[in-house]
Amino acid sequence: MTSAARDPGLQPERTALAWQRTVLGVVIGSVLLAAVNLRVGQPVLSVLAGALAVATLVPAVLRPPSGGLPRDGRLHSWGFLVRVASLVGVLGFLGAASAVVSLL
Amino acid sequence: MTTQAGEPSDDAATRGPGAPPPDDRRPRSVYGVGEEPDIRFSLANERTALAWVRTGLGLVAGGVALTSFASLASMSGFVDVIAAVACLAGAGFAAYALLAWRRNERAMRRGEPLPAPTGLPVLVAGVLVLALLVAGYAVTEVWRT
Repeated sequence: MTSAARDPGLQPERTALAWQRTVLGVVIGSVLLAAVNLRVGQPVLSVLAGALAVATLVPAVLRPPSGGLPRDGRLHSWGFLVRVASLVGVLGFLGAASAVVSLL
Repeated sequence: MTTQAGEPSDDAATRGPGAPPPDDRRPRSVYGVGEEPDIRFSLANERTALAWVRTGLGLVAGGVALTSFASLASMSGFVDVIAAVACLAGAGFAAYALLAWRRNERAMRRGEPLPAPTGLPVLVAGVLVLALLVAGYAVTEVWRT
């Protein structure tokens, strides 16, 4: 394995940045949703959205999914991808719920 | 070091003592087939999946923005319906990101050509429909006042 050699295309770095902006987007989205729900007077949805922001940010800070090359050259993308896709899914359902609540 | 002696032995036994341990990553439907591609291709596939996740996130954010405007400016419930549809579509594209990643990784491991991005026409059509709905709402609002 030539994982010690630096990839001239900086693929691991680009992947790490893609992870960072994805996580950042989820955090900003949930914080916005929490703020709006607080303003509209839906404390339950607001707390849920805030919890989503924390659930996104804390693991990303504690163990950043760096996207860098692991020592054995084997990526473990699936778990991280499932987690971030689930977070976006939950955010989507919270947003839809907040739209439905304001519709009623 | 457990080597799972009961398993039907892969080529790890023939590679000698210095060989890497057998690949036990999940999902097995991906890592159980074919051969390891160039890791740069796997990284590119991961970034593509993340781009799909962010596309879904963009739809969710648009829906959240729409419903916020609708409730803060007391717009009609039609906007809320559009917002809910956009949010659910965003969640759907996040799920599609996982499916597309798995499909592409399998194809790369088997040395097959990459499958067509089936989510792309759906995305384009969906964004078009949402845009037309919002534009139609805006036009009718202008018309009424």
